[in-house]
Amino acid sequence: MSVFRLGDQVPPDPKRITDAVVMRFDHVYEVDPALMELTGQQDVPAWDTKRIVDSRWDHLDWMHDHFADEVLLAGEGSETMPEEDAMPSEERSGVREGPSDPGMPGVEEPAVDRPDVRE
Amino acid sequence: MSVAFKSGIDDAVVEELRAIIGDDGRVLPNMSSRVNRTRVPAPFPVHRWGEYMPDVVILPRTAEEVSEVVGLANRLRIPVVPRAGGTGLSDGAVALRGGILVDVKLMNLIHEIDLVDRTVTVGPGINMLKLNEELKRHGVFYPDDPASYPCSLVGGRIGTGGWSLIGGRFGHTRENVVSLQVVLPTGEIVRIGEGGGRKLRKSSTGFNLKQLFTGHQGTLGICTEATLELAPRPEVEFAAFFAFEDYRTAWETTGDLTRSGLATLAGVVLFDEWKIAYLRRDDEAYIPQPASVKAVVAVAMYGTRAEVEPASKVVMKLGRGRGGRYLGDEISAGDWASRHDRYATPLHGRSKDGQAVMMSWHCEDAALNYSVLPQVREEWHAIVAGFREEYGIFDDWGMFAYTNGPYKPWGDYLVEIDVGIWEQRLNDENWDAWVRCKRDISLVTLKYGGSITACHGATREGDAELVPAEMGSSWEVVKRIKRALDPNNIMNPGKQSLDQAYEDGGVA
Repeated sequence: MSVFRLGDQVPPDPKRITDAVVMRFDHVYEVDPALMELTGQQDVPAWDTKRIVDSRWDHLDWMHDHFADEVLLAGEGSETMPEEDAMPSEERSGVREGPSDPGMPGVEEPAVDRPDVRE
Repeated sequence: MSVAFKSGIDDAVVEELRAIIGDDGRVLPNMSSRVNRTRVPAPFPVHRWGEYMPDVVILPRTAEEVSEVVGLANRLRIPVVPRAGGTGLSDGAVALRGGILVDVKLMNLIHEIDLVDRTVTVGPGINMLKLNEELKRHGVFYPDDPASYPCSLVGGRIGTGGWSLIGGRFGHTRENVVSLQVVLPTGEIVRIGEGGGRKLRKSSTGFNLKQLFTGHQGTLGICTEATLELAPRPEVEFAAFFAFEDYRTAWETTGDLTRSGLATLAGVVLFDEWKIAYLRRDDEAYIPQPASVKAVVAVAMYGTRAEVEPASKVVMKLGRGRGGRYLGDEISAGDWASRHDRYATPLHGRSKDGQAVMMSWHCEDAALNYSVLPQVREEWHAIVAGFREEYGIFDDWGMFAYTNGPYKPWGDYLVEIDVGIWEQRLNDENWDAWVRCKRDISLVTLKYGGSITACHGATREGDAELVPAEMGSSWEVVKRIKRALDPNNIMNPGKQSLDQAYEDGGVA
């Protein structure tokens, strides 16, 4: 069971990645706040950042599933980045419990009028 | 002659529309309904919003309703502008002369799925993502995949003659429309297909009208139903991204991949140095890449495992053949999945002093041959740099080149330069600068034998006035067709320089 503590929701101090990018959570990049003076930003609690990141991964997984039954991979890591900078999939945060696409196993279909099908 | 150049809508016309539609909720002369259907995501002169508002919006449900409305408009010389998702990156769905905006979103039914002759018949208001959710249960899919996939609609795709990310394998919108029902500018309802067939892919009877009615930007009629292709749902998807230390090697590798003869090759995308620099600002896949990464080539394949699995080995070999380095499974699969939905990207650029500012997105969409890509790239970037330096409201977001030929991905490319425009700073002077910038980019395209638009349509300032020059000797034929089908110029007037067809002596 997780307990919500307000103090835990304050993002950690940023670490500089490039001259224009900082990072507060592993592999979650942000535009340097010093470059955001003309575009106001709201404070984002830690849980919301994680929710947004998880939603992004869920969206990409959904897209894969939408276009093909299976994603075929070369089975190789990055040849451009040191291993510690690459992002292994098991490090994605949050719970990813499976597809949300209607028609997938485990997802109840809404009651809708189906079009005529000639088989 | 009398043509529809100004709106003639008054209360009496609205009452006639209500008599046709029979439902007040689908005839909308109110301000918010019109404001919300004024612009599209393309750069827009926001300081002159009111000039582009339609006078009334209607939401028809049937072809008969559309027919009666268009017939009324033709009788009274009122402009008619069809609009589907309103996601276009040119101004096809923007009312330049006011009038009646026909929003087809309620015509969104799947009328028939034919698994024997492999077609699906739909209304123009359905979205491809929603359509494919339904088709998935039958093991088939409609293979039209723009960057606006989750939000654009079939009718808009047909209106613009859309381009698809996976068109190298499955064809683009034109190739995937088998037949369509169209309301002509005079109100008649006609069926357009191959010869007289509704579900035929090839005929030599009569003229090939289907090409004419896919991609006219709403200037020749309104699509009210379409019978579309059904492809077998792919068993597997494979994507691979390769990094390069210079553009030229990436360009040569792109050529190697597109000439490979692999039938499952759906698309190849070439990112240039400016695009990589732009992605390093904000994109999680590119921020941590070393400085040696200057260009990227992305490849995607779809099909059966029996085809794609061995072909993937060939792709890995070709991608590395000139020194390309694989970006890894995580980026390859993830970045490819994100390509189906570029409209989810928050748009912001950089002011001249580096501050992040909200910007709208210009996406140039020229069609150009492989051989000229390096030269065009240099000249386009120089144009944008000059305008950025002088006006400070533009930002160069880099270039992509995507395989463009349907089923034949080797010869020509959809070539983008993405330009951010700081809309909050727009005024007449800055808007004029943008139009000149756009025109200069298009003139480079014409200089190199290209077409100024591969998919968005030449319907915006900076493009439209160049259509006669690009069409050359065929422009007279275009004008005759327009005038014959739309004698009063009611259909989407002001687009593609087609008003010339109605000028004195406009048709030879």
